Amino acid sequence: MKFPMLSRVFAELLKALAIAKKDACMYYFQPQSFMMGILFPAAMFFSFSVGRNLPAEVVIPGIMAVTILFSSSSIGPLAVPMERRTKTYERMIVAPISPLSIVFGEICAGIAFGVVIACLPLAIGLIFFGVSAQNLPILIASTVLVAFEFSAMGVMFSAVPTENPANAMMLVNLVRLPLIFVSGIFVTAAEMGVFGWITWLSPLTYGADLFRSAVSGRLYGLIPDVLGVVLFTVIFLALSVYLHERNRTAG
Amino acid sequence: MEAIEAENLTRDFGGFRAVDHISFKVSPGEFFGFLGPNGAGKTTTIRMLTGLSMPSEGRAKIMGHDVIHDKFLARECIGVVPDVSNIYDELSAWDNLMFAGKLYGVSRHDRIRRADELLHLFGLGGVKDKKVKGFSKGMKRKVTVAMALIHSPKVLFLDEPTAGLDVQGARTLKDILVRLGEEGTTIFLTTHTLDEANTLCDRVGIIVKGKLAAVEAPERLKRIVRMSRSVEVSLDSMTPRVIDSLASLSGVSSYRKSGDKIRLYTSEPSELSEAILDYARGNGRRIVSITTPGPTLEDTFLAIVNGNSEAVGDDRR
Repeated sequence: MKFPMLSRVFAELLKALAIAKKDACMYYFQPQSFMMGILFPAAMFFSFSVGRNLPAEVVIPGIMAVTILFSSSSIGPLAVPMERRTKTYERMIVAPISPLSIVFGEICAGIAFGVVIACLPLAIGLIFFGVSAQNLPILIASTVLVAFEFSAMGVMFSAVPTENPANAMMLVNLVRLPLIFVSGIFVTAAEMGVFGWITWLSPLTYGADLFRSAVSGRLYGLIPDVLGVVLFTVIFLALSVYLHERNRTAG
Repeated sequence: MEAIEAENLTRDFGGFRAVDHISFKVSPGEFFGFLGPNGAGKTTTIRMLTGLSMPSEGRAKIMGHDVIHDKFLARECIGVVPDVSNIYDELSAWDNLMFAGKLYGVSRHDRIRRADELLHLFGLGGVKDKKVKGFSKGMKRKVTVAMALIHSPKVLFLDEPTAGLDVQGARTLKDILVRLGEEGTTIFLTTHTLDEANTLCDRVGIIVKGKLAAVEAPERLKRIVRMSRSVEVSLDSMTPRVIDSLASLSGVSSYRKSGDKIRLYTSEPSELSEAILDYARGNGRRIVSITTPGPTLEDTFLAIVNGNSEAVGDDRR
């Protein structure tokens, strides 16, 4: 074989995609998952925007970011503990596949789901609120990048060594819910006063900013926002692989 | 090169030692039974051999590949059937097999050919496109085994494969395992059923309380089984005198009292049963229960350890 390393990477990629397809069929593209992915962000949207006269150009990017946060990170912490309970997760870890590929496969399904779900608030914004995406390539790239970030976050929490999905969901919600309020989406950094700096510690801040940039066409903060999203993605991915591998052989 | 090689394999869980320095070798093409009571360490051993659990001490090799250091090569050689049917209920039998094939990097052409072949072998060809959540326990077990075989593994690990199956389902599965063995697949089977070990395996390893007590050919096991037959009886009155009388009956080699019953070991259980009936009739006793149970694993284990099949039971004559 001419390029054994390349061939190995390609083989691992195919295995990861098989896991992603399995997850999509089993967990993501199910009616209940869609309802959960849409209803919660919609409720948040109405709670914080109705009566506040916020411009649609501000609300729609924010709601897109929250939607992706909730959709991409939801199924990982449900699916992996469920698969531990049914022992189907063991099927993957006894196979000749690297921990990174397993994690990447789980993440890919979350990315696809997050991107599909995020189209809904965007479509509502475009059709009903007259929002226009000034920079469509940036919007598409941002959507995929942010979905990657939060899918990796969900898979990281799925590494909690439990067979009960409620335990992993509790942890992920403990992080996700506060993020909505400290990311400058519904409450801006200026409104947070002396605690405004907290927004920079939130992984959601950078994604919401990216969407605002893409919708408004003002790209001056693009690079720091991309770097912010990439940094959090790398952290979540590295922790996911480490924690999954550590727990794998603990039994 | 051995198909499976375990050397001082040990696994601790906190202060509890589940597997204690076990060493054994399984040759290519061999049908090896791993026998032991519940909690003896069978599943922990299989988990270490398949890379699901890290040994606390010792090492293991599959087809010459270390399960820790060459784990990719070792895993490519094995198929695993755990003690529960770990299949995806929302997927069809076909999709389950396709997924398993992809995980092992089987090419699309081979995947389709092999899945078709296996589903027909297991009698599931007609339901291959149905979701497995509607399948019976036996059908799910068959899908689990088929998934483990999709990449034609050189070594197949099965953990209590017939547990929970009806007689027909267990028979079918055993026939398939025999066929696989004949085709050259090395099979490592854990079971707590003596009969299964006797009929299927070339050699049997017996594990009790985490320690490997013996590795024997089933012929020796069968001899012990034959000499360890017994009749278990309970009369309406089990006084010491009655027990002595029963233990003195012709053909009784040893006995063990257990609650309100007495287990009488003999090489001729049917003749001893007749003698017990005669004794009860002649002495005006009523028989509460009478059975001819097979030897327990503990009996067999004790016999093997002591190297004396007569030495079965706690109260020996």
